[in-house]
Amino acid sequence: MADPRTLEILPERGEARAPASGASLSLEAVEKKYGGLVALARTDLDVRPGEFFGLIGPSGSGKSTLLGMIAGFVPPSGGRILLNGTDIVSLPPYRRNLGMVFQNYALFPHMTVAENIAFPLRMRKLQRGEVETRVRRMLEIVRLAGLGERSPAQLSGGQQQRVALARAASYDPSLLLMDEPLGALDKNLREEMQYEIKRFHREIGATVLYVTHDQDEAATMSDRIAILNQGRIVQVGRPRELYEAPATSFVASFLGEANLFEVAAVSQSSPPRLRVETKDGLTLSANQLAHFEAGAVICVRPEAIQIAKSAGAAANVLSGRVLDVVYTAGSLRYRVEVAGGRVVLVRRPLQRQAAVMEVGSPVYLSWDVSDTILVPNS
Amino acid sequence: MSGTASSRMARWAFAVFVGLCLAYLLLPSLIIVPMSFSSQSYLSFPPAGFSLRWYQGLAGNSAWRDAAANSFLIGVPAAFIAVALGTLSALATERGGLRWATAGVALIVAPMMLPHVILAIGLYPVMLDLGLLHGYIGAIIGHAVIGLPLVFVSVSAALRNYNPALELAAMTCGADRVRSFLHVTLPMIRIGILGGGILAFATSFDELMLSLFLTNTGTRTLPRLIWEQLNDFLTPTIAAVATLIFAFSLLLLAALAVFGRSARGMPTSLALATAETAAHG
Repeated sequence: MADPRTLEILPERGEARAPASGASLSLEAVEKKYGGLVALARTDLDVRPGEFFGLIGPSGSGKSTLLGMIAGFVPPSGGRILLNGTDIVSLPPYRRNLGMVFQNYALFPHMTVAENIAFPLRMRKLQRGEVETRVRRMLEIVRLAGLGERSPAQLSGGQQQRVALARAASYDPSLLLMDEPLGALDKNLREEMQYEIKRFHREIGATVLYVTHDQDEAATMSDRIAILNQGRIVQVGRPRELYEAPATSFVASFLGEANLFEVAAVSQSSPPRLRVETKDGLTLSANQLAHFEAGAVICVRPEAIQIAKSAGAAANVLSGRVLDVVYTAGSLRYRVEVAGGRVVLVRRPLQRQAAVMEVGSPVYLSWDVSDTILVPNS
Repeated sequence: MSGTASSRMARWAFAVFVGLCLAYLLLPSLIIVPMSFSSQSYLSFPPAGFSLRWYQGLAGNSAWRDAAANSFLIGVPAAFIAVALGTLSALATERGGLRWATAGVALIVAPMMLPHVILAIGLYPVMLDLGLLHGYIGAIIGHAVIGLPLVFVSVSAALRNYNPALELAAMTCGADRVRSFLHVTLPMIRIGILGGGILAFATSFDELMLSLFLTNTGTRTLPRLIWEQLNDFLTPTIAAVATLIFAFSLLLLAALAVFGRSARGMPTSLALATAETAAHG
């Protein structure tokens, strides 16, 4: 006897269209210079078929330039952009057959919702019946069935964004570019739309390149992320890899919160364990994972640190004094001053009736040797 | 309580003030209307008696009819030329990413600021050389020059008023430049183009200086004929013509307002403000 839940799910799956296979995207030595100014240094990047790929970085890091070059708005100064193995650099935007979702939706205000979704199909000269069928299907996928005759201005921000998704995907593009699509929405709606976009991605099956400056959003949604800074990609990996093994101190502090300690000297005490002297005059223990030397940085995540009234048996113990404590949704954030005036950030999940360390009270901070993350010199 | 009373007083005072301002703006133009219904044979205010004979006289007078026809024969083509060139220049300076866009804007807008008499004096020898003096083509070219900046300003405002990402969106949807312009840009700036065209036509219809220099008795426009008649006869015929022109101008303004309102998100007040400046400038 089959699992009844499977039976319930199967017809739904059958109705959804077979996911079109997403395209592979490869950048080979792509760069963009404006005169002497380098907007994007020579970049290589491989995005796998069907992947949800996040591009994050602070503003001016080159992520919009990168997206613009893939979309065809910005001609690269050099390099090749391969979509399923074909170089698209010389193609104008309207020949690239990509879908794009813009930050402010960029819906055509003089067209209805249905006309917006039909626009790319009309540009491709599809038969009228085929256009109608596809528009109806897209409206169903983005849960806006029945709103086709509305004008975009009559819809809420979230609904407009769903129309933009439907328009970008109505012609089954194998690559969808999304440029900060949730930037204009408020926080609650943004989280809801994150799930909506993920669901959409699963149904459409296209490869998605998702640009955002919000690292949490990127981490929540992406299969893999590339972090850009100052016109170059500093690290590519799964969100957890980036968080647990940042390649540079920039990555460590950009993705989540980090206590960074600059390394003054390293000595091998009992292999593979290292003793590390920091520039603040602290001595910390870490595991030797890679080649590592003075000038590098140690990263300790605020949530990896225990805070207690007595010293524990952990590999790293620092004594200090609570400077302040702040309650944020679900957790307590301490700022603790340790030897040498160094301030360490600690975040503890807030359990019911958990003891709260008072401001000014002496405390011990401790963390495991595996939570001492060694970040190579960048 | 006293606060409400004094605020009501203030509101009344303000209404009176606004009424006076409007009267100051409109009465000098409106005074011509009753004068055109006078039964006396010279221009006077207040008019004595009532008659429609000046309007009847107009209908039978071929000089006025020809002048009115000339005004359209010159104004309509001039407006079309101004629309074509003004729209293209607005697209170039707003969307072209030109290095010298600011200087370009200043040059294009210049004819709006310069006295028409300077333009007329400059055009006179050129048209003479080209053999276009006193013909329709010369006058059309001259009027297109003063209409172009009006279209330019109006279309530039319309272009600035919407998100350029719409054009990029059209292109990622598969529309080439021509189709992106036809399906997306044009519908967005349609009101700006229409408003600019109406303004260009109204300005040409109102223009005296260029017509004095560039037309002759065969191609003279309504303003020129009014001016000539004022020198010789001061009959209420002129008041009747002026009233008709006034009514026609109101019609154009109304058209502008109606088109402006039907466009979503178009600043009607801005279009009207430009129209006012043009009409009185």
